[in-house]
Amino acid sequence: MPDLRASENDLARILHRLERAASFADIMAESARGQSLRLDRRSTSPSSQPFFRGAAVRAWAGTRWVEAATTDLTAAGLDAAAESVERAVKASPARTPPPGPSSTTVAERMTDPPHPLSDLGMEGMIHLARDILGWASEVPTIKDTIVNMGWQDDERLYLNTAGARCYQRVTRARSSVVPLAIESGKVEFDFLGEGGLGGREQLDYLTEAKVKEVAESARELLTAGAPPTGTMTVLLDPGVAGIFAHESFGHGTEADQFVRDRSYLKPLLGQTVGPDFLTIVDNGAYPGGWGTIYFDDEGNPGQRTVLVDRGRFVGALHDRETATVLNARPTGNTRRADFVSRPFVRMTNTYVEPGDWKYEELVKEAKNGILLERATSGIEDPQGGQMQLKVKKGHVIQNGEQKGLVSSMALSGRVLDFLEAIRGVSSAKDFMIDPGTCGKGHSDTLPAGTGGAYLLSTAVVGPA
Amino acid sequence: MTPPLSPNPVAYRVADRLHTPAPWEVFGQRSRRYEVHFNGAVVEFLRGPLLVEGYGLRVFRLHEDKTGTGFQASTDSSEAGIILALAGAEAVAGHSTFPTKRIELPSSAATSPGLEILDSKLWDSPLPRLEEYVAALLAPFEPLTDALPSFGSVRATLSEISIANSAGFRSQYAETSMDLEVAVKAFGGPEGAPPGEYWVNGVERKADPARAGDQVPMWAQYARDARRAKAPPSGELPVVLPAVATSTILPGVVGFRFSGASRLRDIAPTPGSTIAAPAVTIQDDGRFPWGPNSTPWDDEGNPTGTRPLVRAGAAADLLYDVRHSGAFGVPPTGNGQRGLSFGRRDWLRFAHEPGIGPTTIVLEPGEGGSDAEVVEAAGDGIWVQQLGWASPDVLSGAFGGEIRIGYRIRHGKLAEPVRGGTVGGVVLGPAGTPTMLTNLALLGSTAALAENFSGPTILVKPLTVAGA
Repeated sequence: MPDLRASENDLARILHRLERAASFADIMAESARGQSLRLDRRSTSPSSQPFFRGAAVRAWAGTRWVEAATTDLTAAGLDAAAESVERAVKASPARTPPPGPSSTTVAERMTDPPHPLSDLGMEGMIHLARDILGWASEVPTIKDTIVNMGWQDDERLYLNTAGARCYQRVTRARSSVVPLAIESGKVEFDFLGEGGLGGREQLDYLTEAKVKEVAESARELLTAGAPPTGTMTVLLDPGVAGIFAHESFGHGTEADQFVRDRSYLKPLLGQTVGPDFLTIVDNGAYPGGWGTIYFDDEGNPGQRTVLVDRGRFVGALHDRETATVLNARPTGNTRRADFVSRPFVRMTNTYVEPGDWKYEELVKEAKNGILLERATSGIEDPQGGQMQLKVKKGHVIQNGEQKGLVSSMALSGRVLDFLEAIRGVSSAKDFMIDPGTCGKGHSDTLPAGTGGAYLLSTAVVGPA
Repeated sequence: MTPPLSPNPVAYRVADRLHTPAPWEVFGQRSRRYEVHFNGAVVEFLRGPLLVEGYGLRVFRLHEDKTGTGFQASTDSSEAGIILALAGAEAVAGHSTFPTKRIELPSSAATSPGLEILDSKLWDSPLPRLEEYVAALLAPFEPLTDALPSFGSVRATLSEISIANSAGFRSQYAETSMDLEVAVKAFGGPEGAPPGEYWVNGVERKADPARAGDQVPMWAQYARDARRAKAPPSGELPVVLPAVATSTILPGVVGFRFSGASRLRDIAPTPGSTIAAPAVTIQDDGRFPWGPNSTPWDDEGNPTGTRPLVRAGAAADLLYDVRHSGAFGVPPTGNGQRGLSFGRRDWLRFAHEPGIGPTTIVLEPGEGGSDAEVVEAAGDGIWVQQLGWASPDVLSGAFGGEIRIGYRIRHGKLAEPVRGGTVGGVVLGPAGTPTMLTNLALLGSTAALAENFSGPTILVKPLTVAGA
């Protein structure tokens, strides 16, 4: 497929046409390609990413945004979309200017991995996946293992009537290994997963030792105990700490929630909300991060935004509209899941910055409690200020030592109470960013990185 | 009333240009989507038409005793685009293996009388109908001084689906659906408590303005109650779940474990084995009236129907798509579905390769009577109206989540609201272990449809609650 720049003249012509009808218009064109593989004991299922190509055409209609989108990038298809937008603009009597500053950025950025995963080819991916399946199968009770790996090129061209032109091609690679332990009708699993911008190097963690370790863990989960229930000291592993950052301060600081008066955090801006060693950021420019973007879908560069600075709540994530209402600057967080999805304020890579504790010190400090490991999901509650985090497994902490394995759990609690109870964060040695998928509500899912190091606090825990 | 459909829809056009050996299939989709997003009572974003035309092309290639499957989706139905898509599918098929030699694609289109999946008023004038719906939804909030919608959206998708394959099957149908999201906020008052919220999220086939505001008073009450709710107690407690809560727990686990995909992994229930309380009967119904996943044919062209999964507590049948039916030498059950995730279908179905998926999971009502009678039977427990996210694990069967809003049950009556803490358990486990299905003590007498689940209010005795 030709790259999107081949359609640029037609897209620019549409913008020129809309310039006559609206005070501002922009276009985001997208084209995606990629390959993925899913392999288990019985089947090998390679697949190509859909050849998905199209454009969203948006204009300011005086009091609100109007938009059309199409998969037809021919001149006729784009004209039809522009006509729909023109009609909607004409239906609105107001002619006020659009909210906030329009981007004028002109730039091109592309991920250029030294060893693209595409070079490995489908045969190379299948070969590696079979090795992984073989390693896991050497562990007793592992009856099957699901191996997923793949890459995707997401190409986006953003143009607006203020002169911005941002072209980017983001290449992401990701993999996961899920060994299934089955015995006497009981099924358990554990998993490994990593991903980020780049290529073959994103799979380097898939060693025989790591795969066997996670397979052993799946086997052990067959006889794991039930987790304790109630309020207790909790030690989050780096992945779970990342989900905490995402669900609590990530969603809570998406400033469209401020404009809607729907964030429990809004009245706390500028106040101390946590200990002085706690810093939480969203960073669209994090090198190689799963949620890294070069430009957002309003033409602003991906960038680092500090949300909590040494315990003080200092910042929020903005698009042009929320930045105007709240007297701030756009932060490069306007993202569309794809060209048929609307732009929203969204996270990129959201994480707790490392502290200076050692893991062993945190376990001792916990004394009695629970270590929560392997984040599986989370959900926000921006209005109510609660959060839910779920994990696949954990270990009981007794008398300052890590003890027996327990199975899946949910953590619940009021975010502000959880923050107040944070007693330590481990050092950069433990820091990692996990590849996740984030929805706005139950839709508009897109890649978002979550990260952190070990974090000690207090919360309610129950089975899940 | 069925709208006039294209005489030459995308699947037929692609099929007519395919030059490749059988078997193959094309799933085509042409959709218009319209969205109204509102902030309070103000419309902030009007979207549409979002026009998408695409197809998913699948080829099957026999390698010794296995079948390779190649799938490629594309939005380019030009001659060059089809050649490219076919090359992509063939390349993938060469590397793919699935344990069957038998691929039987449907060869004729069954009729589908009386299946209601299209809102003709929405089809004919989507944006005005959505705006009318939003106005009707917002109207009941106007007199309220302590509750409002902090934001919301309605998103209507109007699709023409077409399917063609190398066995001669050609058919098409039209459908509508509407996704609704509203965050209802309660605020103000002398008590000084922070605002409370009840978050509504669902999908329906119709956008009916006459019913749009019906539930607003109840949603507002849940939001008010969230402000004064306290954490529930901890322990093994009787838990009452209305259909809207059960819909987030049951269909995913049941749909996966009662499928050919589970059978392939040797984790499907053995037919006839006892896996639930005797009062439990569950079926999958692909033709459930106005069900969001109801269609005349599944996404592989096989006719949909009803399939018993649990009969009086005992495991019955399983769900199959084309490939798994081939692997086990059984007929497909009309459960080949595309883009199904947590019970809801991605509106861009053509972009997904089909797999086995439940349609509407129907838990038959029992003899427990009204909701009040089910609550009375609970004695001392909790009514869980909404969980943060139950996100059931389909492999182990475990589920659990934070209680967003619920009520304490004391002396057989609903009492004060509860919020926070977690409730969890296992939907389906090894024989002889207590699960949500074996502990299902009472089924109410009236069913309600909540997304891809239809069932009564149920009493599970007990589930584990972690609270104060």
